[in-house]
Amino acid sequence: MSKTALIVDDSPTMRQMVAFTLTNAGFTVVEAEHGKDAVNKVAAAGKMDIVVTDLNMPEMDGITLIKELQKLSAFKFTPILMLTTESALEKKQAGKEAGATGWLVKPFNPDTLLKTIAKVLPA
Amino acid sequence: MSDEFAQFQEAFFEEAAEHLAIVEEGLLALEQQPKDLELLAKIFRSAHSIKGASGMFGFNAVTQFTHKMETLLDLLRNGEKAVSPPIADLLLKSTDCLKTLIEAVKSGVAVDDEVVQRLAAELASASGAQAPVVPQKQAVAAPTQSEHQARRYLIKWTPPEWLFQRGLDPLQVIKELNGLGELSSVTLDMSRVPDLAEIDPEKCYLSWELQLLTGKDLKTIEAAFEFVREDSKLVIEEREALSVKRETSESGHDTRFTNDDQRAEDGAPKPLGAILVESGVVSPAVLEQALSQQKRVGEILVEQKVVTPQQVEQALQKQKQQESATQTKKTDTASIRVDTAKIDKLINLVGELVITQSMLSDLGARFEIKQLPVLLERVAQLERNTREIQERVMGIRMLPIGTAFSRFPRLVRDLSTKAGKKIQLVLSGEETELDKTVIESIGDPLTHLVRNSADHGLEPPEERLDNNKSEVGTIRLNAFHEGGNICITVEDDGRGLNRDKIVAKAVKQGLIGENDKLSDDQIWPLIFRPGFSTAEKVTDVSGRGVGMDVVKRNIEALGGTVSIKTVTGKGTTFTLKLPLTLAIIEGMTVRVGKETYIVPLLSILESIQPKDGTIKTVVGKGELINVRGTYLPMIRMYDVFVLEPEYTNPMKAILLILETEGERVAVMVDEILGQQQVVIKSMEQNFRKVEGIAGATILGDGTVGFILDVRGLLEIARHGTPIAA
Repeated sequence: MSKTALIVDDSPTMRQMVAFTLTNAGFTVVEAEHGKDAVNKVAAAGKMDIVVTDLNMPEMDGITLIKELQKLSAFKFTPILMLTTESALEKKQAGKEAGATGWLVKPFNPDTLLKTIAKVLPA
Repeated sequence: MSDEFAQFQEAFFEEAAEHLAIVEEGLLALEQQPKDLELLAKIFRSAHSIKGASGMFGFNAVTQFTHKMETLLDLLRNGEKAVSPPIADLLLKSTDCLKTLIEAVKSGVAVDDEVVQRLAAELASASGAQAPVVPQKQAVAAPTQSEHQARRYLIKWTPPEWLFQRGLDPLQVIKELNGLGELSSVTLDMSRVPDLAEIDPEKCYLSWELQLLTGKDLKTIEAAFEFVREDSKLVIEEREALSVKRETSESGHDTRFTNDDQRAEDGAPKPLGAILVESGVVSPAVLEQALSQQKRVGEILVEQKVVTPQQVEQALQKQKQQESATQTKKTDTASIRVDTAKIDKLINLVGELVITQSMLSDLGARFEIKQLPVLLERVAQLERNTREIQERVMGIRMLPIGTAFSRFPRLVRDLSTKAGKKIQLVLSGEETELDKTVIESIGDPLTHLVRNSADHGLEPPEERLDNNKSEVGTIRLNAFHEGGNICITVEDDGRGLNRDKIVAKAVKQGLIGENDKLSDDQIWPLIFRPGFSTAEKVTDVSGRGVGMDVVKRNIEALGGTVSIKTVTGKGTTFTLKLPLTLAIIEGMTVRVGKETYIVPLLSILESIQPKDGTIKTVVGKGELINVRGTYLPMIRMYDVFVLEPEYTNPMKAILLILETEGERVAVMVDEILGQQQVVIKSMEQNFRKVEGIAGATILGDGTVGFILDVRGLLEIARHGTPIAA
């Protein structure tokens, strides 16, 4: 069975690019526009193998989303990657405290994305 | 840039355009409520999104510039700086600049770097000294050590207890280390594992001691611990003492200070300026100041007498031209973004269509006449499917008109500053949906009308006060559906059209005679004549007599009309009436002799069979018919199109009462066949323009049917000039 990934980003372009990379790598991808959307979609989709989320989003930001996901038993051990830009790196700590596994700095290329995922997702 | 991502560029441009609109709209709204933090957050997010995505494509100029805007927006958002008019102005200008930058990468044309640099400097200084702190680099320039020299490292690692809770697996780290070279020994330390009763299964109590033989450097090894390093106890020792040679990077002669984080990431030396700022020797503001004093290439060359000032001037001119060429270059967005729900619905419908089709072919294979009712039922089902699919597909092309309105708040703001007038813009009906092509084409005509209202229509504040009006003039843009049309009104509460001036000008231009007696309704449309402007002085905004005729031409090209209502001293309203879509109309099929015509359903008021004595012939006006006390002009279709009809006696035929633009006409046909949707094919493109015919369509039996142009028929009725088909 292919692995599942939840991609959360308010920018459709970013979402498409991450989804494209992961789909090519054999993932089944669920996309969400923001934290709230993600929480709703997770309720429907159940468990995911990995979560890749932007931090700065409308409705519900990434940090809050990570906290929300931590409350769900299905996501307790799910790796969560934060997508941040350099300027938002200070949020990294807040994200880690909230329960994020790792981070990836934008801009990135497909290779680094997959490598970073390989770091946190047991093959 | 990653080539794999290149295919998403188009999506980026589309998204960026949306974000730019949000930023611009937001900034304008911000001038009204400068303390709206939610709005600021929204603007910030949009800028942030542009920055993030542009970086993915390597559009560095865009990324860097947006970063500067973002820095300032961040300060505003956090309340560290208040929104002042100069700041709002600067941000608006920067938005324009960003637009140009994005346009430039899209079309591959160079941008005037000077403007960009100047605005960037302004943004930086507005952000104040504390702003552009160069972010701490995560991965510092990797020193290029010789890689083939294998060294032995001893690694002691105690991961944090929460390791599992974050979804991390120590095995992953160890595997990655193994990938770097050879793990000659892995020792697991379980001494911290408590008694079974006390074990928290979610915690990690393990430690490792590893020996790694690798040619990679320390940084690469540390990178394997990327997400756990800060919280782990980690010691990496080199066991066999080998001279560690680190290449130091020499700071070059590049004096430009940039926020180009990419450089550092790539291992390229940081610019001198950046290093000075980082080490706190100078503040970014001071640096920007110093940089702004840098001489431009042209100045230096002139000083060195290599070129003459004239040559530089010429080159600059050329640059300007290129710049304006870029700006006027219209970039058509050929793609459209569609809600996935709409597409899902379409796929469902297509599925149904396939089912209906297979049921029909199944029926056809062994058809007996007694199954006719079943056949008819299935055909009806097919028709329902087709119609619904058609509606949905058309729906995809429908967009809210708000996208065309969104440019006006900014335009009006700029116009009011330029003209020294106080103008308030009121938008309504933004959610009204219409065809994408129509939306794209009405932007320019609407701009002309709004400019016109701001410049000619509205009076200067003093004049308004003198006339007991509010100092602030109002321009209203409204959109609404009316029948199968969409109406857009541009309304101002200004001085209204000046009849005397228009008449004088028209006489001067020879459009009308001096003694012609014309009604107001005949006078106003004169302003749509080419080269017609009554403005006393040509302003930057309007008054060159270009525009109003273009407005009319554009709207008519879309199958629409423009009308004017004006009251002297009270204001003027322009009403644009446009078809909802350009491709399909609801029509009534009628028969005249052996020919089938289609009458647009929306223009049909009723159909009647006239009684004896209701038809009269009036000299010079042709035939008139009395419909409940009102005489309407009557047209015999067979006369107009020179046909052989079934009936020449109106008492036996059927009269359709048609209306367009408030005028009515009775059209005589042999028979009404039914109602159907028809796809319009242009006559002009396939044949030539024919008076009284709006277009053609293919009928169910494969023959061509003509679609009546009701307006054209009215003209024919008025002038009584039937044209041979």
